[in-house]
Amino acid sequence: MADIDQIMQHDHERLDQLLGQSAHAVSTGAWQEAAHLLEVFRHGIVDGHMMVEESTLFPAFEHKEGGDDHPLTALLRKGHRDLRIFFEEMAEAIQDQDAETFDDLLSTVQTILKQHDAKEETELYPYLAAALPDRGKAAGKRILADETETPS
Amino acid sequence: MSEYRGCELPEDLFYDLDYVWLRPEDDGTLTIGITDPAQTMSGRLQKARIKKIGTHLDAGRHVATLESGKWAGGVPVPFAGEVIARNEALLEDPHLINVAPYSDAWIARIKPDDPQHALDNVKIGPEAIEALEAWIKRYDVQCMRCSE
Repeated sequence: MADIDQIMQHDHERLDQLLGQSAHAVSTGAWQEAAHLLEVFRHGIVDGHMMVEESTLFPAFEHKEGGDDHPLTALLRKGHRDLRIFFEEMAEAIQDQDAETFDDLLSTVQTILKQHDAKEETELYPYLAAALPDRGKAAGKRILADETETPS
Repeated sequence: MSEYRGCELPEDLFYDLDYVWLRPEDDGTLTIGITDPAQTMSGRLQKARIKKIGTHLDAGRHVATLESGKWAGGVPVPFAGEVIARNEALLEDPHLINVAPYSDAWIARIKPDDPQHALDNVKIGPEAIEALEAWIKRYDVQCMRCSE
């Protein structure tokens, strides 16, 4: 099995694709499909990816770095809080069939994700892959299990 | 005016202890903006979207979204209410937020659904300033004053 940095980076790419598919459905007016795809994306990122990070990876980093108030994980946790609200607002825009609002939110969310993911991929995951005894494989298993369970 | 690591923190405003400041107005509305440390962390702002007048927002929802070259994020409202005014100047020149976050760059005015409890989740005075100083330290922010 791959190390945690490779697994998490792959999950970022998978989630980006899901969000892109939902956006495409919005652009073609397929509102029901867009709502379904956004929910698949939301479940994957909030209940899978973020959950593993907040329950396992961030605490592991903070434990190694000597405290739970580290600027890196504080910033990443804040990013998660902001994103959760944006995902709710995107779902509401789809419910209202409001493509203009959805596109505005999508632009902001994609910018946040690009910066957030880059920070994790350059500063967090490589550190944990090197620092954890199993190179993060246990946490990686949870991500891979979630990917398998993702509804189509 | 308190100052910490170069960040201005007016003592007469209410804060959500994260990004947002609030100022109660005489007509019962509340003006919202983002703090000096928040604008510093965001970088030079290049885009601002503010919800239209008449939009109703639940507590915690974003009244605006802001983007710089290195950052994007929302401006959450700590209470439910209706947008009754927005700062149109920011739509043309979002960088104004980096220059005058507490004055010319107010973002919106909101009429709370429940004026009695609109400020229940925000802080003012020494308690707020102390928490904001901890915020500045946590995110390792050093404020720089923009002049243009």
